[in-house]
Amino acid sequence: MRILETTTRRRVLGGGLGLIAAPVVLRSGALAQGSGPVRIAGLVSLTGGGGAFGPNSRLAHQAVVDEVNAAGGVLGRKIEYFAEDDETNPEAAVRAARKLIDVDGTAAIMSVWASAVGSAVLPLCWENKVMMLAICAADSIAQMPHQGYFVRTQPHTELQTKQFANFAIQQGLKHFYVMMPQTPFTEATFKIVKELCEPKGIKISTLIYDAKKTSLRSEIDEMMRANPDGLMMGGYQPDDIVFAKDLYRAGYKGKVVAFAYGATPQFIEGAGKEAAEGIYTIEPVPANGSTAYERLKKLVKKDQLDTYICQAYDHANLAILAIAKGGAGTGTAIRDNIRKVSDGPGAKVDNALDGLKAIAAGQEINYEGASGPCKFDPIGNIVEVAFRLNQIRDGKIVEAKA
Amino acid sequence: MTAYLLAMATFAAIYALLALALNLMWGIAGMVNLGLVGFYAIGAYASALLTTRLGLPVALGLAAAAAGTSAVAALTTLGVTRLREDYLAIVTLGFAEVVRIIAENEIWLTRGTDGISGIPQPLKAALGTGFNAGYLLFCLGILAAVLFVVERLRASPFGRVLRAIREDQQIAAFAGKNVLAFKVKAFAIGAAIAGLAGALYGHYTSYISPEIFVPLVTIYTFLALAAGGVGNNWGAVLGAVIVVFFVESTRFLIGSVPWLLPVQLAALREFLVGLGLLLILIMRPRGIFPEPLPRLLRGGAAGRPS
Amino acid sequence: MEQLLQLVANGLMSGAVLAVPAIGLSTIFAVLRFADFAVAGHMAVGAFAGWYVNAVLGLPAGVAVAAAFAVAGLVGIGTHEAALRPLRAASSLTLAIASIALNLMLENAIRFGFGNEPRTFAIPLMREWSVAGLRIAPQQAGNAAIAVTAMAVLFLFLSLTATGKAMRAVADNPALADSKGIDPARMARLAVGLGMGLAGIGGMLVGLDSAIDPLIGFRAILSVFAAAVVGGFGSIPGAAIGGFAIGLAEELSLLAVPPTYKGAIGFVAILAILTLRPRGLLGAAHA
Repeated sequence: MRILETTTRRRVLGGGLGLIAAPVVLRSGALAQGSGPVRIAGLVSLTGGGGAFGPNSRLAHQAVVDEVNAAGGVLGRKIEYFAEDDETNPEAAVRAARKLIDVDGTAAIMSVWASAVGSAVLPLCWENKVMMLAICAADSIAQMPHQGYFVRTQPHTELQTKQFANFAIQQGLKHFYVMMPQTPFTEATFKIVKELCEPKGIKISTLIYDAKKTSLRSEIDEMMRANPDGLMMGGYQPDDIVFAKDLYRAGYKGKVVAFAYGATPQFIEGAGKEAAEGIYTIEPVPANGSTAYERLKKLVKKDQLDTYICQAYDHANLAILAIAKGGAGTGTAIRDNIRKVSDGPGAKVDNALDGLKAIAAGQEINYEGASGPCKFDPIGNIVEVAFRLNQIRDGKIVEAKA
Repeated sequence: MTAYLLAMATFAAIYALLALALNLMWGIAGMVNLGLVGFYAIGAYASALLTTRLGLPVALGLAAAAAGTSAVAALTTLGVTRLREDYLAIVTLGFAEVVRIIAENEIWLTRGTDGISGIPQPLKAALGTGFNAGYLLFCLGILAAVLFVVERLRASPFGRVLRAIREDQQIAAFAGKNVLAFKVKAFAIGAAIAGLAGALYGHYTSYISPEIFVPLVTIYTFLALAAGGVGNNWGAVLGAVIVVFFVESTRFLIGSVPWLLPVQLAALREFLVGLGLLLILIMRPRGIFPEPLPRLLRGGAAGRPS
Repeated sequence: MEQLLQLVANGLMSGAVLAVPAIGLSTIFAVLRFADFAVAGHMAVGAFAGWYVNAVLGLPAGVAVAAAFAVAGLVGIGTHEAALRPLRAASSLTLAIASIALNLMLENAIRFGFGNEPRTFAIPLMREWSVAGLRIAPQQAGNAAIAVTAMAVLFLFLSLTATGKAMRAVADNPALADSKGIDPARMARLAVGLGMGLAGIGGMLVGLDSAIDPLIGFRAILSVFAAAVVGGFGSIPGAAIGGFAIGLAEELSLLAVPPTYKGAIGFVAILAILTLRPRGLLGAAHA
């Protein structure tokens, strides 16, 4: 046994040293500049709480990459696109991101949807000089020391929450009960709603529930005891379905308002028409009617687009345009040039092809996307965005009269 | 690709520590611990919080993780070590669940499902791109040290008493050994190792959240131990390496099996882990490496039943 | 006070549902002498079988419950013959660990076939009734009724039929039963079939008024174990009482802790009972 122990010990150490010596000999990591294909990637939610949106993001990315490649690629090089499923789970996301960064050598990670995933993956991005173009909304993410490797096309929590507070004020509510699952933006939401509503004399109650439960009866009972006249159902789609059904059973009669990303058409199907009836939703409007929006509809062959597929489309376009402007297929090139293409002093463009032609001709451009004008502030938050109030009536989501 | 391999090797080293911890508690001392991931979590959170909230240096965080987890284990096992095996299994499973629930809900402390990000990675700035290799070396160093310690323990009188307790508690008590004290000590040391592994994980990935600390981690560790050899420390390390590389290699199958959805591949991966554990239990419950016999009994003397 | 009564009502109803898989667990322990963690996976099997019959084939919930029982029971017998029978000589701990491995396989087989998304049954959404100032959800009451019926049928089976009595004999004294010519292998299969069938019903009932997914059994397992252990592991009436006890404890705990801590109640109950009265409320004193 002693002999075996010594040999095994030597083998373990030898193997370990071998692994460590390798990078000195082989250079890995920074593959995507110089020559060879340009690499960008999508880290999307194909399963889990955000699983309804990932496939569309991937679709949009692929469509943009395909049309740019058909026209000759970027910087004379083909674009390689990779997609990984983050399972709407930070742990799975970190491992998937590692593969995209270390193995695939991507310059950009696009369309991360859940805030917990964004929080987890962003440090990996800035450490490795990879650009993150995201959808996730938590304020805390933009405040991380990301050195510019982060932009998002989704209005951050503060912007969104103001809308919910306004709803409570405009509807003349006396007691507004805010119920949310635990997310990186939950505490921020509670704080902002209180700050805006309490001075107007609206009583605010808050409750955090466990989004993984299949029944929220106890939580709803607690809320019903307080008898509020308005309720914010601040969850994602799966828990909204559970919530709405239990709410219906409990016979709640007040006004209910939810995030549009939770109260989707699939939500109506899952919860049933009666449970969904009358629920208000608030959503950032894609630049409905904008040329980019119309173009995207044709590109992916859909006549109804939600804000996420629009944002994914914009991410792909912006990443490619920034690479062209910066002359290198790296995350740093994207970081240094994204605002020059998204908000440049030039002609408006609504897609990568036109933008690439303009850049090649030495002109400035100003990308206006399907999700909005895409103007980013220094820490990566979107600056302008419009919101709309909808209501579910007879199984359909229609714009609400205020 | 090399950075990816370095990362997998680092995870393997961390799982090896978990396997060593379980080996001490269960393989040698005979106390099943289905809640191993709970200690892993406590260590990870302890070090993460001390280094992010209080700004303590990483080394102190690691030491505190080991010590703190150990203390929690000592307290909680006082009540349960007397339990028969299957009750102990149930209770320890519950323990891990409670740890996760607390981590999810005590947002003021753990930031709940938001997780703790920006956990300091030692010497990250100084090493730059060499960090992956450097950290792996660091983990291997700790693994070697822990392996040395548990091997010594196993061969020592302390280890002999633990094995005696594992075989027959009543006789050990009859022989004058304070069974409770020995069990608590074994559990506490094992927990310290598991807590240390958790802390190392946090300082590597710079992010932890409750969703990471699921029973699957414990099951992977059981598989590692069953595969490598229950009671054998080297086997534990080998088993951990096998399990991590097996699980991660299936990720690359996604490209070559296009007709399966990602969720199906994930399910298939976990299914194979379960199947692997079951087959090992049926066919080779002692693992690849048998438990090393005590010196006295090598060389053909009438051996203890193994 | 009204809140207290409401919580008691809720607790009794959810306790009835919890009792069913707990009885299954205790049945298996009584005859096979190990803690079978695969009960969680079989709860999921039953839930999905019932869902398939109800939501996909369009049959009423009553038929679905029978399907849940039958499918989970048969799957239980099959998996235990294939996976656990080779280990019959092993220690109860090895069997327990093997059952965990088996459970992982079952849950992932379901995940493979159905994905992770929650599925709902095709039953109408009904508003709660107001009964004497208490809010009673019709589905919950229905579930409790189904659970109580299942338990009643089981008790009748065990006390009145020859097979049932034989199984009790094996549970009480295996050596004596064997000497009387009762086939232990057959009894083992029966226990597994019954136990897992009940787990299947339990799984379906848990999901009937909310939703099911592959992890439905796993989320409930701690409470199920708590119910069985509190009542006395291996005692069938004990498991029934334990179910109600844990159900009540979980609901009443809402007076003191937030709802998200409900899962911890099972653990606390297990700890308490094992410290104070390890054999449980109705269990026989054993080593």
